[in-house]
Amino acid sequence: MIPLGFFIAISAVMFCIGIFGVLTRRNAIAVLMSIELILNAANINLVAFNKYLGTPDGLGQIFALFVIAIAAAASVVGLVLIIAIYRHGKSVFVDEYNLMKW
Amino acid sequence: MADIIFYIIALSTCLFAFLTVASRDVFHSAVWLSLTLLSVAAIYFYLDAQFLGVIQVLVYIGGIITLFIFAIKLTAKIGDKTIQQANEQALLSGLAAFVFFIILFKMIALHPWAELQPQAPVFSLEDIGKSMLTTYVLPFEFLSLLLLAAMVGAIVIGKVRK
Repeated sequence: MIPLGFFIAISAVMFCIGIFGVLTRRNAIAVLMSIELILNAANINLVAFNKYLGTPDGLGQIFALFVIAIAAAASVVGLVLIIAIYRHGKSVFVDEYNLMKW
Repeated sequence: MADIIFYIIALSTCLFAFLTVASRDVFHSAVWLSLTLLSVAAIYFYLDAQFLGVIQVLVYIGGIITLFIFAIKLTAKIGDKTIQQANEQALLSGLAAFVFFIILFKMIALHPWAELQPQAPVFSLEDIGKSMLTTYVLPFEFLSLLLLAAMVGAIVIGKVRK
């Protein structure tokens, strides 16, 4: 059987790839996609620990469900913000956003 | 046999995740992201979390990826291939992410994981539903409030002002 460390390693790989995407991508939509990768990495951890530690009422899975719902809400608001800024300033690139810069 | 399936899922997850952040076209990124999320759903199925896997496919691939593609197509006028997609700090941030991964990997390797064996599932989907509406009913209600707030906020922000 696969040890728990393998799942955590996959999660770590996804997390670091997501951080790399957040730091490097210029397109704000791609930055949001990288954030989704990071949230999914956290979810893998929750479900794997739930399976291997045997929580009685499936707490890890319930928590992962909450994370999925919050990620959906966050990406909806984020995408609408990006579209609103695009309409206002004709740009989706984060290094050209200077609306709130002093 | 089960081990080989796990290695295939793990490899595809990491590969698709890398392609998500590495591909130049944002639309291709969205397609790779949907494959990544499908691989994560396969991991959930592997870990006996069938309900969560189905929810992952429904909510992420059916909902969020569709929204992403809508957003990409609504802003597509400046999304053509000649525009630079990564900023100048790509090398530095790649190094930072790699160093962070090495630290994480060392920490993971320190722990004796072989002692922990996977447990047989002691709860069913019915138990998850019950505890969601009894023990965790407060976060559940707050979540519905949050979703409502996100929906109203999205409509207000996205509205065209005259």
